[in-house]
Amino acid sequence: MNKRLLIGPAALFLVWAITAKLHLIDPFFLPDPVSIIGKLFGLLGHDGIVPDLLSTLWRVAVSFIAAITIGLPAGLVLGTSERLYRSVEFLIDFFRSTPATAMFPLFLLVFGVTDASKIAVAAFSSALIIVFNTAYGVMHAKKSRILAARIMGAKRHQIFRWILFWESLPQTFVGLRSAASLSLVVIIVTEMFIGTASGLGRKIIDFQITYEINAMYATILMAGIVGYAMNLAFVLAERRFLHWSGK
Amino acid sequence: MPAAISVKNLRKAFDGGELYDNLSFEAERSAITAIFGPNGSGKSTILNILSGIVPHDGGSYEMPGLERFGLGYIFQNYRESLLPWRTNFENVALPLEIRKIPKREIRARIGKLECLLGMSFEWNRYPYELSGGQQQMLVFMRALVTEPKMLLIDEPFSALDYENNLRLRECLQAYHAAYGATVLMVTHNIEEAVHLADRILIFSKKPSAVSESMENMLPYPRSRNSLPTDGFHKAKDEALLAFQKAANL
Repeated sequence: MNKRLLIGPAALFLVWAITAKLHLIDPFFLPDPVSIIGKLFGLLGHDGIVPDLLSTLWRVAVSFIAAITIGLPAGLVLGTSERLYRSVEFLIDFFRSTPATAMFPLFLLVFGVTDASKIAVAAFSSALIIVFNTAYGVMHAKKSRILAARIMGAKRHQIFRWILFWESLPQTFVGLRSAASLSLVVIIVTEMFIGTASGLGRKIIDFQITYEINAMYATILMAGIVGYAMNLAFVLAERRFLHWSGK
Repeated sequence: MPAAISVKNLRKAFDGGELYDNLSFEAERSAITAIFGPNGSGKSTILNILSGIVPHDGGSYEMPGLERFGLGYIFQNYRESLLPWRTNFENVALPLEIRKIPKREIRARIGKLECLLGMSFEWNRYPYELSGGQQQMLVFMRALVTEPKMLLIDEPFSALDYENNLRLRECLQAYHAAYGATVLMVTHNIEEAVHLADRILIFSKKPSAVSESMENMLPYPRSRNSLPTDGFHKAKDEALLAFQKAANL
């Protein structure tokens, strides 16, 4: 591991610890980092946030899988026909630019105050990112490779399977990575504001209301760790499966 | 010998103007024909038209007796035509997979070609791990593995160092001798044209036409030892003169 990677976190920890020690900010709002890390370990024990963590992960996983199931095939199909893509491009761009949070009320109306509404709103916004990136990847496949396959006598479905699908993968991965992060963001936010019994978002807001500031920070830290771990998993998968990307 | 490629009064225009207004030539069956000419004279375009990836505007061309899958095409831009997600073996196997040929036969065919050309690769590695010269050889093998009766080649040696260049010329001759394939190659290197071709067609500037069709009687096989001979120099000088005339130099 590159040692330089540790410099940033170490510096942040140091500045935070000094700020807390010198009471530069009211310790009620900014407790020292060691006590927050201790609190996080405490919360991972009995009666802690583990069930909330699992609920959040489950919602993120379901919404992400739903987004892939819809977004990936749609992106592949739209990418193969530029005319088809152009005809829906405005819709994709419009809804991609609309904040997902603005659509909560709509999804609440349709799905009620249930897990389904949270999952649906996260899946909807993530699917759009996957569609856009996958279609883009297919459309920007290297023409020379397609021509080479055509001259070899490849049929349309063979070109799709052997060339276009693979060509789109690096860009698809960019989409999947952003979509996973967005799913987590949307799920955490919806847990805060739509009636939920469990979830990291719910815990963060509960701890804030009851002024358990250490626990609030620890739960935020947990959410950050989840997001980072997801991102890292994608980076590692990319290195393993897309070793050829850009070559 | 009957013509394997016959181009008659071909017309093609691009946005920049007329490329050919009346292009006609023939390429003899089982011979190596080289097209040599100035930049922008539509040398590559004629290969693209013949292979069916670029439409023409008028006139006609024929390739009598050419069966489906009977055509091999070697692109100038080898880096962009190899598939980096496939291993070296899978890249060469691709045209055979397209024809749904069983794995065992694919292995046998690639083995046979390795023997003929005297080249081998680390088959389980990837094209991006190879040097430019090796990548071009891989493209060569991919085009030859189907044993095409017609081979269209677009400046195949342009990106290679001299040693690899000479090696590939010998591979091309070995394949040609073994299969009697008709080869139409585009080049901007007069030495390559004289070294390999039975006939050299010299294209004029736009709108292009064949300004000279030169027969090259040097005997095959033409090894690297053929290059310093008097016969080679004479043929090269003739071709250069014809080119200078065509390009108004």
